[in-house]
Amino acid sequence: MTERNEGSGVFAGRKLNRRDFLKMGSAGLAGAALLGAAGCGGGSGGSGEIIFSYGPDTDGSIAKLIDKFNKQNKGGIQATHRQMPADTGQYYDKLRTEFQAASGDISVIGVDVIWPKQFAPQNWIIDLSDRFPASEQKKFIPSTIEVASYEDGVYAVPWVSCPDVGLLYYRKDLLEESGISGPPETWDELKEMALQVSEEAGIQNGFIFQGSNYEGGVCNALEYIWTHGGDVLDENNKVVIDSPEAAAGLATYASMVSSGAAPEAVANWTETESSANFYNEDSVFIRYWPSLYGGLGDPETTKLKPEQVGIVPIPTDKPGNPSYSTLGGWQMSINVNTEIEDDAWKFIQFMTSEQSQKTRTIINGGDPSREAVYDDPEAQKATPVIKLADTVLFDNGKSRPVTEYYGDMSLEMAEQFNSVLKGDVSPEEAVKALQESLSQIMEETQ
Amino acid sequence: MSVASASTEKKRRGWFKEEFGDPERRTAYYMVLPSLLIIVIIAFFPILYGIVLSLTDSTIAGFGSFVGLENYTEMFQDPDFLEGLSNTVIFTVVSVALEFIIGLGIALAINRAFRGRGLVRAAVLVPWAFPTVIAAVMWRLMFQSQVGIIQYVASATDIISDPILSSRTLLLIAAILVDVWKTTPFMALLLLAGLQVIPGEVYEAARVDGANVTQRFFRITLPLLKGAILVALLFRTLDAYRVYDLFWVMSNRELQSLSTYVYEGVRISQLQFGPGNAASVFIFVTAFLIALFFIRVLGMRTSAEEE
Repeated sequence: MTERNEGSGVFAGRKLNRRDFLKMGSAGLAGAALLGAAGCGGGSGGSGEIIFSYGPDTDGSIAKLIDKFNKQNKGGIQATHRQMPADTGQYYDKLRTEFQAASGDISVIGVDVIWPKQFAPQNWIIDLSDRFPASEQKKFIPSTIEVASYEDGVYAVPWVSCPDVGLLYYRKDLLEESGISGPPETWDELKEMALQVSEEAGIQNGFIFQGSNYEGGVCNALEYIWTHGGDVLDENNKVVIDSPEAAAGLATYASMVSSGAAPEAVANWTETESSANFYNEDSVFIRYWPSLYGGLGDPETTKLKPEQVGIVPIPTDKPGNPSYSTLGGWQMSINVNTEIEDDAWKFIQFMTSEQSQKTRTIINGGDPSREAVYDDPEAQKATPVIKLADTVLFDNGKSRPVTEYYGDMSLEMAEQFNSVLKGDVSPEEAVKALQESLSQIMEETQ
Repeated sequence: MSVASASTEKKRRGWFKEEFGDPERRTAYYMVLPSLLIIVIIAFFPILYGIVLSLTDSTIAGFGSFVGLENYTEMFQDPDFLEGLSNTVIFTVVSVALEFIIGLGIALAINRAFRGRGLVRAAVLVPWAFPTVIAAVMWRLMFQSQVGIIQYVASATDIISDPILSSRTLLLIAAILVDVWKTTPFMALLLLAGLQVIPGEVYEAARVDGANVTQRFFRITLPLLKGAILVALLFRTLDAYRVYDLFWVMSNRELQSLSTYVYEGVRISQLQFGPGNAASVFIFVTAFLIALFFIRVLGMRTSAEEE
């Protein structure tokens, strides 16, 4: 067998016998394994069951609420919790696959506050304006409604752990020992106190935060930009980050590390490392989310007692200037492909009701989105942080510059902010680079 | 054969007639057809689909229109891609070279008969048995500043003062070292298998002829081990070339490789889907070329039937 194979095979004009073909084939197969399989399934709309997607139910509060809902609806439609990854990025990946397949399996989606403005333009979630009128919206903290709105509609109902805002925690006991009268109001004061107290108390770190190259790093750096009067987008969604104010904010951000107030390691720290460090009594100040407070006094988590720790708003550049905290948290939306819209809405109404929010706040220590729950003595007793930080939670929460392509914007910002913190890029260079790359991304939106 | 002397046109027709005219041959083709179809569907369809996607402006939300090589030009202009490419190439070349040298040393050492050889062979394999993700997390903890042992030792001895996890150069070096730690045993195992099929008589004969250790190594061991070496190198090269988990987990998404670039484009970003797909095709084609290089240029044997 020789000539009859001429002209066939992969390389035309060259002889290719079976063995060679097998060789090529095996090489090809080795390569094929490198290419991800791409495929998508057909869409289907499930009915008869409300599937609610949300992160892990670590404290059992979701199970408790769903149980109650199912009991109230005995004989009617029943709800179940479908567990999603705790990591926002991974959860987002999973959802995107569902949406791509136009699956209506999940009817109620627990959404991160940065998602409604991304999902709504893609027509992945339902406009709830008719069901969730302004009169009802008024009962929620305004910033949590703002993030759920897109154009004239509102696409999500805020739940518990929304608003999740940045707070400055400080060690009351250590500040007193150093003879400092009160917590810092400006970034400079914070820097000085961090250096002074950590040295006097013999503690490893003055101030720590989440500076890694990820979404949390974006949340941290934005607070510096905002409190210096800068911003990423203006009200017309024009990119305005290349400003002296934003550069000054990033300069302060970098100075936390360069002055020695914060350790160099914060440039690769996330929530996990920073909270462990504070709980381990290795730092005087920490910028963290409200949930940190719940761990205080729990002997399994830390030896720190609640009375040793104080909470203040994020510092500003000058005394008296407004303080801003990056707004995070979780809300509920309805999948556009669901066949049981009405039941899904009933479920959302139940879960976001005052009573349900109170139940969850008491069990898991999250911040309720309904203002009324903040006045509830039981909730205040179980979760003191809602009383301690109520002004920050009510007034200071500011939404990240969320648009349809926020995911891409976040990647760019995370990279630049992290480089500034490491001292690889100057604040001026960073805002210039971001002005260009973010403008490019915003062009896609129009 | 009469076909050989006929004109090209006739030859082709004759070929077809010979292959499919004979009912027995035809039956043979029918019987092979299902397996061929399965191969095409399983192996070639995803490849073709990836290539087609990379030539369109598709997004995650839907199939787009044909844009030619635009995604590829965009990809080659993307600094992230170039960084991933250079990281991947450096990582592959350095780690495979180190693994080969150390692995060969280990293989030669444990090829000798000594007491407790079985135990040593098993012990050597331990790092390789770790799931990569676990190993990556473990090493990340050790590199961590303030709590990590390696960072502590490095700072205490004034070798490295910067946080290792903050510098991309240090991260790349760390990734290479961790990969060497983890996969050298695998290399050693493959080479050991090759060493064990070299008959002892060859060495005896060489010794009788007066060949010394160096001569025996270069004239006997290496030539007879060539097959095993090439297989081991190809496996490790392709493996290192598509590095993903080690980079991303150990550096917490800081260190870019070709595969992480693809993931970032296709799964995280909403706007980089095209270049991400182009990069996946790029990886496929270059990996294919690497494999071809090993088979054609270096003369690697792919099956036992060859002489």
